[in-house]
Amino acid sequence: MRLRGNGSLLSVPMVFLVAALLIAGPVSPALGAEKAKKDLPERSITVASEYTGVVLAQGDEASIDLIVTNGGRRNENVNLKVISYPKDWKVWIKTYSYRVTGVHVKSDKSKSLTLRVEPPKKTRPGQYNIGIQAQTDDRRLTSTCQVGITIKGKKEEVKSEGVNIITSYPVLRGPTDAKFEFSLEVESKLEKDTIFNLTAQGPKDWDINFKPAYEDKYISSLRLKANQSQTVAVEVKPFPLAKPGKYPIVVKVSSSQAKGEARLTLVLTGTYKLDVGTPNGLLSLEAIRGKKANLSFFVKNSGSAPLNNVQFLSLKPENWKVEFKPERLEALEPGGLKQIEVSILPTEEALVGDYSVGINVNAGKVSKSLEFRVTVRASTAWGWIGIGIIVLVVVGLVILFIRLGRR
Amino acid sequence: MQGLYAVFRKELCDHFSSYRFVILFAVIAMVSFITSYVVGIHMRQNLEALSNTKFPFLMLFSTTGTLFSMVQFVAFFGPLIGLVLGFDSINRERAHGTLIKLISQPIYRDAVINGKFLAGVVTISIMLLSIVLVITGFGLAIVGVVPGIEEIWRLTVYLVISIFYVSLWLGVSILFSILFRSIATSALASVALWIFLSFFVSLGADVVANTVAPVNQQNAANPEAVLRNTRIKESVGLCSPMVLYSRATATIIDPMRKTNRAIVLMGPMEELLASRFQNPLPLSQSLIVVFPHTTALIAITLICFAISYTVFMMQEIRT
Repeated sequence: MRLRGNGSLLSVPMVFLVAALLIAGPVSPALGAEKAKKDLPERSITVASEYTGVVLAQGDEASIDLIVTNGGRRNENVNLKVISYPKDWKVWIKTYSYRVTGVHVKSDKSKSLTLRVEPPKKTRPGQYNIGIQAQTDDRRLTSTCQVGITIKGKKEEVKSEGVNIITSYPVLRGPTDAKFEFSLEVESKLEKDTIFNLTAQGPKDWDINFKPAYEDKYISSLRLKANQSQTVAVEVKPFPLAKPGKYPIVVKVSSSQAKGEARLTLVLTGTYKLDVGTPNGLLSLEAIRGKKANLSFFVKNSGSAPLNNVQFLSLKPENWKVEFKPERLEALEPGGLKQIEVSILPTEEALVGDYSVGINVNAGKVSKSLEFRVTVRASTAWGWIGIGIIVLVVVGLVILFIRLGRR
Repeated sequence: MQGLYAVFRKELCDHFSSYRFVILFAVIAMVSFITSYVVGIHMRQNLEALSNTKFPFLMLFSTTGTLFSMVQFVAFFGPLIGLVLGFDSINRERAHGTLIKLISQPIYRDAVINGKFLAGVVTISIMLLSIVLVITGFGLAIVGVVPGIEEIWRLTVYLVISIFYVSLWLGVSILFSILFRSIATSALASVALWIFLSFFVSLGADVVANTVAPVNQQNAANPEAVLRNTRIKESVGLCSPMVLYSRATATIIDPMRKTNRAIVLMGPMEELLASRFQNPLPLSQSLIVVFPHTTALIAITLICFAISYTVFMMQEIRT
């Protein structure tokens, strides 16, 4: 009951308040507008630039919004004119697509136009002013405004204004004979479609090419839409004889308005290359079963990085023995040549004929295989024994002839 | 030497003019015709086999076709030629009383047996050579392959081994004709020995191998046990001249055969690596592989002749 009593006590002034708002709400703005309209002067125009001071880099261009406001009660046709600008500059007023000299502004409304400023490429840094005049048709009313343009030196301009290059992996590492691919994301900050030139500077004789991501063609320029970004791959083929070490690569993306630069680093570890062969190029040998056959082959490090722990493996029939001397090489310097002696021992039970015996030289990063044709021959020892038996029999026969013959 | 040549010439005349020889030769000629024809047709229908081998000509002799190959035929029935030519060589002379008359001529006694054996060998050589030539001719006509040098050499070696093999049975039958007075006995004895050595020894080898190293359900999967069984079977089988001969000629006539064993234990790697180069063996290696068998065959042929020679020379023949 108390609560209810309280509620009813409160509700009385609330009702009044709401009622007052309901009556005043729709009435007061209408009254205000009427009053404002009445307050407006008969005629009034102003022209103002959105930014009164703009800093431009040397060689850059600017588009600055101009706002033309009609503050009077009449609709006005406003003629616009650039009244002062530095010599050789190109300054004009335009809308989205046209160059304009006048604009119609309704009463109490404003219109936006664009002031396009194109200073010459070699404008010296400094402060420049552009004056704009707005005048009504009947030249009764005039309004002017000033835009201050500060041109700054080139050095600061390079600060990737207009284009951004982002690299996730600026340093790559690998053997000299590999192909490297840096992935760059080129982001345009410009307001319009622009064609960017792609250039790269690397060590002499290196092959550096630009490719679209996931496509296999070389490009030298790139078209980017306003504020768009695209991934570009930089393919680098180092000079085959390049020494191991660090190599910088500078990638430049430039257009007339923007310029960007990215520093990439390539760390070459040298090439891993192995040459394996026999001194005379012969890859076949004969072996008598149960007897060792020897051959030698060479291992040459023809890469530019040292090879460590060179191991020898053999692919051989079961029960055969293939031994290497030395069994492994601890290290092989670039250009180093080592001769390895191999002994192949076919089993006694090996079939006569050709077998393939493979030798694999494994240096961790690279491996090379040699395949030998091992012609297994039977030992002629038993052949001689057989011939001996036959000779013995024949001799026995002859003795028989002599002893028993002529009867 | 005079006497030897006379006996040799007379014997040869006898061989070639006897009905026995004509009938035998007719049978052999017929068989070789049929064999070569069947093989020729078979090869023509299976040309891919021909293109795979480096020695297509030898296939004429080793391809089984529908019945049997020429090699198999000589292995089985070649001994019969030797037996038929020799089973009555001495005891017929003795039965007819011509041996005494022969000896009373100015002819040494060894000339008789030597001449008879030599004449038999020459007859056998002529027969085998003509079989080979018939098949060669057929091969040239039907299949159209020309033998190469290596193939001719292999055929020559094969022919020599075959002559020794058949001569072994000639020697056996001559020995029996010296030992037994009755023609029928010597004929039966030599045929019985032939059947025993050719057919029953292999049966006996099975029995021996299965007794000594049985392959049952427990160790059937064990290659060692199977191999042992086969080895024993092979060794016992070597008692048979037919087995000896088959082994000896197998790698000669088929250069792709690299062993004369029935079963060889090979690991998977060995099999893989051996199949990498599918080259035929050179003739010298084929010869070395079968050299023990060839030697044994030649030796027992000579020994068999030596025994019959000794027995004949020691025998009292005037009675």
